[in-house]
Amino acid sequence: MINNPSHPKKGHLKNKECKFTKAGIEYIDYKDTETLLRFINDQGKILPRRVTGNSARHQRQFSTAVKRARFMAMIPYVTENLR
Amino acid sequence: MKKEFYEMTYILNPVLDDEKFKELVDYVNKLIEDNDGDLVEVDEWGTRQLAYPIEKKNSGYYVNLYFEAPKTAIEPLERNMRINDDITRYLTLKYDAKMKRHYDLKKKGDLPVIFDDVEEGDNSDED
Repeated sequence: MINNPSHPKKGHLKNKECKFTKAGIEYIDYKDTETLLRFINDQGKILPRRVTGNSARHQRQFSTAVKRARFMAMIPYVTENLR
Repeated sequence: MKKEFYEMTYILNPVLDDEKFKELVDYVNKLIEDNDGDLVEVDEWGTRQLAYPIEKKNSGYYVNLYFEAPKTAIEPLERNMRINDDITRYLTLKYDAKMKRHYDLKKKGDLPVIFDDVEEGDNSDED
């Protein structure tokens, strides 16, 4: 989080805006691991909506995408340090 | 019968050689075509590191493909893939209208950008 300038928690800026809605995303692709990694913590856990500001719809889509990516071994289920 | 749009990703056993990979990819493609499906795109990602070991292996040969097929084609296809020991994992998704639009946008290369403060290597895994 400290090394990631775009981490949602960085700088305590309470940006309560869904990044997916803002960009006009219709479907969150499980193959797009770059994006998925932005919304999970160092242990590989999915960050809650209160931290990321995702809309409910996108949070559901996102968690499905993460679970698919985990199944296909693109991102880990559990880890000590992801970054 | 009405055909649906599907996406499939599968992982092959990495200890095989290139010839065997090609054979297996052809085998899967043939399975789809034999079941009345039409291939749209076959994309071989090649050998990649796995995030966690599967069957005591740390890497895998990824293949990502898109095809159109009737619903009845999926069951025999997945059954054959499950039987084959060299296919370690597979994931089939049926695309709905939104996912299809996303796919078309990705093809054209103008997907909406989520983060504009992009760091280096953002396009590295765009296939």
